[in-house]
Amino acid sequence: MKLNTAAYYIREGLTNVKRNRAMTVASITSVTAALLILGLFLIIILNVDSIANQVESQLELKAFINDNYDATKVAKVGEEIKAISGVKSITFESKKDALNSFKKQLGDKSYLVNGLENDNPMPQSFIVKVTDANMMKQVSEEIKKIDGVTQVSYGQDVVDKLLGIIKIIRIVGLFVILILFIISVVIISNTIKLGVFARRREINIMKYIGATDWFIRWPFLVEGIVLGLVGSVLAIAILGFIYGYASDLVNNKLIIFTLLSAGVVIKQSLVYFLAMGSLIGAIGSGISIKRFLNV
Amino acid sequence: MIKFVGVSKKYKNDIIAVSNINFTIDNGEFVFLVGPSGAGKSTILKLLLREEIPTTGSIFVDKKDITKLKRKEVPYLRRNIGVVFQDFKLLPNKTVYENIAFALQIVEAEPKYIRRRVPMVLSLVGLSERANSYPQQLSGGEQQRVSIARAIVNEPSILVADEPTGNLDPDTSWEIVKLLSEINKRGTTVIMSTHAKDIVDSMKKRVIALEKGNIVRDEMRGVYGYEA
Ligand SMILES: Nc1ncnc2c1ncn2[C@@H]1O[C@H](COP(=O)(O)OP(=O)(O)O)[C@@H](O)[C@H]1O
Ligand SMILES: [Mg+2]
Repeated sequence: MKLNTAAYYIREGLTNVKRNRAMTVASITSVTAALLILGLFLIIILNVDSIANQVESQLELKAFINDNYDATKVAKVGEEIKAISGVKSITFESKKDALNSFKKQLGDKSYLVNGLENDNPMPQSFIVKVTDANMMKQVSEEIKKIDGVTQVSYGQDVVDKLLGIIKIIRIVGLFVILILFIISVVIISNTIKLGVFARRREINIMKYIGATDWFIRWPFLVEGIVLGLVGSVLAIAILGFIYGYASDLVNNKLIIFTLLSAGVVIKQSLVYFLAMGSLIGAIGSGISIKRFLNV
Repeated sequence: MIKFVGVSKKYKNDIIAVSNINFTIDNGEFVFLVGPSGAGKSTILKLLLREEIPTTGSIFVDKKDITKLKRKEVPYLRRNIGVVFQDFKLLPNKTVYENIAFALQIVEAEPKYIRRRVPMVLSLVGLSERANSYPQQLSGGEQQRVSIARAIVNEPSILVADEPTGNLDPDTSWEIVKLLSEINKRGTTVIMSTHAKDIVDSMKKRVIALEKGNIVRDEMRGVYGYEA
């Protein structure tokens, strides 16, 4: 393809975009809407993934000890836990420590636990660090067998739950995205159809003077891809703006884990968005080119 | 060289537009295609342009059977056959210059060549002054000159004109025919379908006469032969 021919395709494609404003706006809006929803699901999936990682990477489990055990008995339990293979280190958390750390989590609502110091409901526990995430389950089973251990909790439950949520989000998201994808393709295809119709005289003349099929098709393909790309760029801009604001807000309130930054999310989804946008545009115009252009 | 061998065309509605057409046109000839409306003149030109495919028979252009062309090859046939219509078929939103340059853009000609070639053709058809006008600002005769310029700008060896003077008054028609004859003298084969008896009679060129889809006459230096 010669450079000036490529320039012709782009120029003509852009002329088509400008020719039918109402349909152009409708096409871009539908692509933007489709990609915004896609982006929403993508952001949720990326974040849940990241939270699951954050939880998993802590490689910690907590062994709660009978409330009535005194220091010597507790120390003995500690020795037994240490002896289990796969245990890296243990830290004792007294009832008082537990209450303080709970207070910290409550932040400015810490007054809620005021006065509990004398009748502390928090359990004493060992925080057990494991050498390997895969050892979690096995180690926790071993610890449970020790006398004086009332309960063992570890992040795996949370991780499993998060992974389950991701699965559901993926399925629902895929379905919603597919529908929006089809709607966008149909709208773009209609836009192109109107473009073909508006230019049918010109197309007829082009055929008589020896234009190849692809010479006639390219401007319409360019039109579709431009519509798709503009839609996807708009979606990224809107998403980046809103998510940047929302994630700051949420991150300031949460302590247990952090949401991904807007920059990271946009970086990870930019290529998908542009690819999806141009794919929607190309398929949409492809359908009309095949059905209505007849060249 | 153009050669029709046993060509028949039956349209979808079972109308037989032409049947068993045989003729040969040598390079550089000027041929009138005459006959009453519905005789099959346009059908023959459409078959030559591969707009229609014959039901039976073969059509050769420069030894190549164009009825066997693949879809992809058709544009290249058309680049070798310039075409002019009764209704001009100019693009209203392009200037005279742009309408002609467009035919060269389509064949991916170099911009440098386009800039040299378009003024040459414009001067050949006598429209150098109107390069920047739009078609609707021109008279019918001038519009037809533009369409002739567009048809010959990439130097086809054949020029096909389907009733090119059908919408023009007699004086203007004469100018158009003289222009076609001028182009013919420069070596282009010209085939023109027409109803214009006076023009055919005084040009003394080859005449192929059609009636109800059959060739009834094929004479060198012929006349129209009907009461127009
Ligand atoms: N696309 C078509 N479909 C069906 N019938 C056609 C078509 N084109 C032409 N015809 C018929 O074929 C016959 C010859 O038409 P045409 O070649 O246009 O004649 P002419 O150009 O000599 O007036 C006419 O009867 C016409 O009605
Ligand atoms: Mg006709």
